[in-house]
Amino acid sequence: MQLNINGENRNSSADPNMPLLWVLRDELNLTGTKFGCGIAACGACTVHVDGQPVRSCVLPVSAVASQKIKTIESLGTPEKPHPLQAAWIAEQVPQCGYCQSGMLMAAAALLEKNPQPSDTEIDAAMTNLCRCGTYQRVRAAIHRAAAQMKKGGAA
Amino acid sequence: MKRRTWILSALGATGALVVGWGVMPARSRLGAPELMLKTEGDVALNGWIKIAKDGAVVLAMPRSEMGQGIHTALAMLVAEELDMPLGRVRLEQAGNDSIYGNVAMLVASLPFHPLDSEGEHKPTKIKMGQWLVGKVARELGINATGGSSSVADLWEPLRVAAATARASLLQAAAAAWKVPVSDITVTDGVMHASGQSAHYGQMVAAASGSTPSGIQTKSPDQWKLIGQSAPRTDIPSKVAGQATFGMDVRLPGLLFAAVRMSPILGGTAAAVDRKAALALPGVVKVVQINAWGEGTAGLAVVGKTTWHARQGVQAVQVQWQPPGTGVVDTTRIQAALLNSLNTESGFTFHEQGVPTQAEKAAASRIDALYQAPYLAHATMEPMNCTAQVKDGRVEIWVPTQVPQMARDMAAKVAQVDKDQVTVHVTQLGGGFGRRLEVDFVGQAVQVAMACEGQPVQLSWSREEDMGHDFYRPMHLAKFQASLDAQGQVTSLRIKSAGDAITPRWMARAVPALSGPIDMPDKTTSEGLFDLPYGFASQHMSHVATQSGVPVGFWRSVGHSHNAFFSESFIDELAVATQQDPLAFRLNWLKDAPRHAAVLQLAADKAGWGTALPAGRARGIALHESFGSIVAQVAEVSLSEGQIRVHRVVCAMDCGTVVNPGTVAQQVESSVIFGLSAALFGKIDIVGGVVQQTNFPSYRMVTLSQAPQVETHIVPSTRHPAGVGEPALPPLAPAVGNALFALTGKRQRALPLVL
Repeated sequence: MQLNINGENRNSSADPNMPLLWVLRDELNLTGTKFGCGIAACGACTVHVDGQPVRSCVLPVSAVASQKIKTIESLGTPEKPHPLQAAWIAEQVPQCGYCQSGMLMAAAALLEKNPQPSDTEIDAAMTNLCRCGTYQRVRAAIHRAAAQMKKGGAA
Repeated sequence: MKRRTWILSALGATGALVVGWGVMPARSRLGAPELMLKTEGDVALNGWIKIAKDGAVVLAMPRSEMGQGIHTALAMLVAEELDMPLGRVRLEQAGNDSIYGNVAMLVASLPFHPLDSEGEHKPTKIKMGQWLVGKVARELGINATGGSSSVADLWEPLRVAAATARASLLQAAAAAWKVPVSDITVTDGVMHASGQSAHYGQMVAAASGSTPSGIQTKSPDQWKLIGQSAPRTDIPSKVAGQATFGMDVRLPGLLFAAVRMSPILGGTAAAVDRKAALALPGVVKVVQINAWGEGTAGLAVVGKTTWHARQGVQAVQVQWQPPGTGVVDTTRIQAALLNSLNTESGFTFHEQGVPTQAEKAAASRIDALYQAPYLAHATMEPMNCTAQVKDGRVEIWVPTQVPQMARDMAAKVAQVDKDQVTVHVTQLGGGFGRRLEVDFVGQAVQVAMACEGQPVQLSWSREEDMGHDFYRPMHLAKFQASLDAQGQVTSLRIKSAGDAITPRWMARAVPALSGPIDMPDKTTSEGLFDLPYGFASQHMSHVATQSGVPVGFWRSVGHSHNAFFSESFIDELAVATQQDPLAFRLNWLKDAPRHAAVLQLAADKAGWGTALPAGRARGIALHESFGSIVAQVAEVSLSEGQIRVHRVVCAMDCGTVVNPGTVAQQVESSVIFGLSAALFGKIDIVGGVVQQTNFPSYRMVTLSQAPQVETHIVPSTRHPAGVGEPALPPLAPAVGNALFALTGKRQRALPLVL
């Protein structure tokens, strides 16, 4: 089957039942997307499918074969980081960092839909788990990125 | 108690060998240049510092980065002494020499009362004990990242190593330029004198081989980096998804393995039918695995991806057999601990005054029983290890807090010499003490041995990870306070019961020291025997049990439950004597001014005593652990029967601070980690099987439930103390005490249940 990942068409011979997460990680070596729970409970595996945040650990790859998949690897580049990535650095969000790819992808999907989210809206959208407890910095960084994007610049 | 005097008798036997009181000089850990990896164009000046051709610094890094910011903090120490920008310090994994061992962590395991062991005027037996254990630790060289000890341990050795390197570089420049060393200034790693300049790389060849003595490290007024918040160097790669965790290791021809251990802790596979698994596409083989490192046995399936391996491992037909020693059960263990408390005297960790006399003379008594459950670590990255066994050599890539223990395990499983093992430490997706164990390393090497030289990445599912942890042990504690006719507390007696962790871990980590398995374990009583309050009579003892559950170090270890016990009971005493909880504590902290100052700071910043919106209440708690004193005030309300923590104000005295930004991060982290445990954390074991399987049954605090955390650091010039753990213990009692203020119901068990 053909997959569209980060703007590139990639051929995959994966079993149609194989969750997208493992196709990304173990077949395509896109290891930025993480395994955390395997039951869509923690959000470490969050990627975008046609702009929507989805938990790729329970999503059969055959279900997304015709859609646009975006992973952390294409959220920004070192030269041109996504405003959220810049805000994440400015607020010094990550600790161990393992959940942060999923956290950033969830936040990016939120800002796509809602460029100026309130605290309540952030509460509702950001259900990813972080064992290091970076939550208050995640919140601050989302607000920072939203403010920067409104001004039209990087965070 | 026969064992009560074990420390003194051990010291007596070795006392004759003691010739001096000084702590071991940091210079003894300078190390030879040969200890560092030989790399093209770089010149090593000692066991820690290499200078690159372009003048950059390469630092030998023995500690693991698991989110605590240690790679940044330790690089800052070196950058400071060398007058280098932080960004020009590169890290290289340190080797196995004993200079890289963690001395401070072992010295901190001595069960001395902190109020006795501070400062210059500590008693002789404490000086002796610290010196002796330091000496042993220095010889053993156990490299471990844990016990909030990394900066405390490397504070002197790294600054001395960098200052020594700097002095030899300046000497070389002075000789080349024929100027006195004192004329040379250094800016951003470039030396200048009388119109000439050179970076370190241009002078390192001439500096090589000289190790000047009489080195002085900078005085605090000369610091440019230490004490200023520096952005963490590991963060840019972590926001780009580029950091390499254990599960992100990719090698040519890599296979993937999934694990299924006996669901009954300590059990084994009695009968295995591999047919169905081997019939699945992408499945390569089925391997039975032993119980390495006191873990549990089971089987692994190797596949072409993790998913194929996991499908395969579920398809294996297997009959599990419980261990011959019987199955463990938390309800039975709880009853046994209670029985131990009532029938055994335990080991006395602290005694002062005459408690029996005070108890006899008491006008009234306050008794309470506290308890805390087993807990899992639940690191976001589950246990994993990548291994390749080829041509008599073993190579492993592993997120570990103990690289040498991982090496030793790999050598044992593959039956090769330790020097045939290469360990690559990756980024750790959380550690919290779980990665002080190497059970999964043994599994990975055993599976790799069956893979004919191909590398294999073995990883656990969340269910295996939660069901096969080394759990924070269940503990119970009985409190008894005596009050005189005026309502003054005259004595405090605490007896606790629960499994010891350290002796068993030492046996796993350093088999040579595996003898005294029943030696008293400070972690069982820390946070109970070492309270700062000046009650005239005190008696604290612990009954160490062996319940059969695999137990391990869980972030802040014994403090994690004992602070809840002690600081909740102190609150009970304040209530019983009709005093404000802050005033009561301050009243009993007259001989502990640092503790009083931290407590007062937290209270002031939180507005203790000022009005709150209806339905909210504050609770306060104070606790010392890992050399740092922390006070917290929690603001709590109830919303539809759920506990809601809105704000946690934290004051901390952790000695000299290297990177204040990291301290704030670690306080926030500890509060959330502690809050998840306080609100939800509980592992139940029935018939040997852990009942919690994944995050829905072992809940975590989420963003919407996270309180706002404020960190206030007490300025200090003392030796740096712990940062990664000390803000965790006071959280549960601060919340519990706030709940009492709100509801009038005293919380004596974790997790907190309304």
